[in-house]
Amino acid sequence: MQSDLVLRVAGESGEGVITIGETLCKIAAREGIHIVTFRTFPAEIKGGSCMIQVRLSERRIPYHGEGVDFLVCLNQDAVDENLPDLKEHGVLLCEAECDLPEKNPGWTAYKAPFDRIATREIGSRISKNIVVLGALSHLLSLPKETIEKFISEKFARKGKTVLDHNLDALQRGFDFARSHLAKKDSYRLPKGSGRKRLLMTGNEAIAIGATAAGMRYFFGYPITPASEIMEWLAAHLPKMGGVVLQTEDEISAICSVAGASWAGGKSMTSTSGPGLSLMSETIGLLSMAEIPAVIVDSQRGGPSTGMPTKTEQSDLLLALYGSHGDATRVVMAPTSVSDSLRVTALAFAVAEKYQLPVIMLVDQALSARLETVDRETVERLPQGSRSCASPADGAPFVRYQLGASAVSPAALPGTRGGEHMVTGMEHDERGNFACDEETHTAMTVKRFRKLAAIESDPLVAEFCTRLGDENSEVGIVTWGSSAGPVEEALAIAKGLGISAQAIIPRILNPLPHQELKTFFGKVKRVIVPELNFVGQLATLLRSTYRIPTIGLTKVKGVPLAPSEIVEKIVEAESTLNARSTRAYGRAG
Amino acid sequence: MEELDKSCEYLSGVCPVWCPGCGYYGILSALVEAFADLKLPTKELTLVSGIGCSSRLPYFVKAYGFHSIHGRGLPIAQGVKTANPELTVLAVGGDGDGLAIGGGHLPHVARNNVDITYLLFNNAIYGMTKGQFSPTTTLYPVTKTSPFGLAGEAINPSALAIVYGATFVARGFSVKKEHLKELIIQGIHHRGFSFIEVLASCSSFNTTDMNVARIVKNLEMIPEDHNPEDAIEALRLAADQEKIRLGVFVRNQRPTLGDKFQEMRRKAKGKGAGNMEALLGQFA
Repeated sequence: MQSDLVLRVAGESGEGVITIGETLCKIAAREGIHIVTFRTFPAEIKGGSCMIQVRLSERRIPYHGEGVDFLVCLNQDAVDENLPDLKEHGVLLCEAECDLPEKNPGWTAYKAPFDRIATREIGSRISKNIVVLGALSHLLSLPKETIEKFISEKFARKGKTVLDHNLDALQRGFDFARSHLAKKDSYRLPKGSGRKRLLMTGNEAIAIGATAAGMRYFFGYPITPASEIMEWLAAHLPKMGGVVLQTEDEISAICSVAGASWAGGKSMTSTSGPGLSLMSETIGLLSMAEIPAVIVDSQRGGPSTGMPTKTEQSDLLLALYGSHGDATRVVMAPTSVSDSLRVTALAFAVAEKYQLPVIMLVDQALSARLETVDRETVERLPQGSRSCASPADGAPFVRYQLGASAVSPAALPGTRGGEHMVTGMEHDERGNFACDEETHTAMTVKRFRKLAAIESDPLVAEFCTRLGDENSEVGIVTWGSSAGPVEEALAIAKGLGISAQAIIPRILNPLPHQELKTFFGKVKRVIVPELNFVGQLATLLRSTYRIPTIGLTKVKGVPLAPSEIVEKIVEAESTLNARSTRAYGRAG
Repeated sequence: MEELDKSCEYLSGVCPVWCPGCGYYGILSALVEAFADLKLPTKELTLVSGIGCSSRLPYFVKAYGFHSIHGRGLPIAQGVKTANPELTVLAVGGDGDGLAIGGGHLPHVARNNVDITYLLFNNAIYGMTKGQFSPTTTLYPVTKTSPFGLAGEAINPSALAIVYGATFVARGFSVKKEHLKELIIQGIHHRGFSFIEVLASCSSFNTTDMNVARIVKNLEMIPEDHNPEDAIEALRLAADQEKIRLGVFVRNQRPTLGDKFQEMRRKAKGKGAGNMEALLGQFA
């Protein structure tokens, strides 16, 4: 029996496609199965094609899978669009009326009149997706009682009629499959450990990570694909005594964050590229005034309005450099849903401890995908807090003390004897504006010393991981959600007898120089896979370490495929043997 | 003499950067006297500003001060008050800061009824950048950036604030310091968003619009029998083209943003317990 199953459900938006996928996920997570999903969103508000791909596995998986084992199509368009992704010996379950190509490389095809069962037998067209679930529960040997329990939970508050319709739909789908679809394939639900896992999206993980880190003040402006962060927090943060305010624009959001944070509250906003562009000026203010803040950017296709529902990693340079002047900030990028929980908490720890803005980059695919998370992850999150002064009576408070530590203790408004100015202007130690040569130099150095301190802080040590064969001369540096396909690619390459190794920093500013220099000292080729056109991480690495890089970029609005990375690994490996080369790592 | 000493305790000792003859000195003076009258502890006093001559004011006051970026004083003040409702939060800024670059924030802070006091110093010119027209420039149309006259009509700040639903709207004049002090005291006392437009002359770049002699000649106090809950009448007074009305146009009560947050917290707690264990339950 296979330990891994890639299942895709495709249809028209509004047909309940996503519900089928999510229900499968819920059931599997309760069985202790590992899950990673990928879903597409139509650009239209209603209608348009959509799909959800669910990979279920007995072991931890980094990627949603390339090639589909089991494809469920609710209409002809879905068949036409998705059949090319079905594996040679895959399974297709589709609406009875769909036409299939004459040439069949070896698929098993099942047809069922889902539409007819839903409209004629049940009298409720919208229950079609539950009929499909019923058929799937037979074909994949899903625990039907668990599905019934889940459906009961989901529809209980919609009244008995709706619930009965759905339970009826499940039974009829199951019965049809049992009597008409003789099982001809061997695919079934992988075995779970029995240890229940949490199931959440990247956006939910960010919201939870922030809440667990003590964030209580959220200001934001709706934007795809980040809105779910604010929506989840709006529903739940007030339970924890916090507040969520939808502001008039992103500038107001980040400024409200600046005010709330200065007043002592852990504060946050989330946005996408267009919003981060608008926030740039205030990021400089946060840097100058030394105020903590966490800004989440769920990246989408750009520039400008770009492709709001499609994924991309093209805001790295904006996050690193956006805002005028020498503006310090930390840039982080988690790689998975589980990682998003931890990195969000780390973002708060670093922002508070070092009194500066932290920009956390995720992307549409990571924001929207469902993934299983171990409960322990939530219990072991990084912690850090702001250093606050106890001002002496009489003497004026010195907010920006130049001294041994780059971080000077703050005095929160309301603290006796701590009255002081914070300002976006260059300022002296007390916060009063100062434009003299010495002060600007000394204060700029103070702000940048914080970045150096972060780099060597034990807090961040575990946030740079190495994968693959540490002796390999083919190296990969990647960031964010592209780490998933890279991890998958390393395993595939290993299977082909090709060794490669990867380094994945979660903190992109300041870069983990020691780890990267060691890495570049070992490898002779550096491939940099990322989802943007110009190779933004590659640009950063080349300018920082003066090393040649092999770019692997893609701007199709979908994640990298492991096979695309494997291809580059093979290509790089073949050039290794062609001529002798020296190791990198001399520079930097 | 004792009065004066008390208000001096609210001065930081940093020397104002304003030009000789600037109307803002009068506002600073009225402000610290209001603080002294209210006996506000300096540790709870918070002044937030944007950019411009008026936005420099927080440096000169002994308080917690936040001199931010152009046009953004209001949302920052909103954040401060949200995170610490115990603070007395004032926002100060000019006509350019508040009505041009930051003009998009005023309607929302007003409709949110954030419990802060906003002093909009109206001198009808950009002073810090040395003499370009502002959204309130009227009688002095030829400025450095409008050598052939103004393109747009002037904005009436108090009228806007009334229309935006501010729950306290008043207009003062830097020369009438006692009156202004009383307005500031009322504004701070008011529970909700207090908008105070303060007319003040720029002695360097526009001595026409806010010309003291002209304003003194045309000013008229809002009649004592004006009902501050009558927004239509308030608008008529604020928008009066003949007379420059001073006093309180609007004063009414409705829940503040802080009240609304409390209500949201109460409702949310009815939907589930406030701990991580309960929040994670929905993902199991």
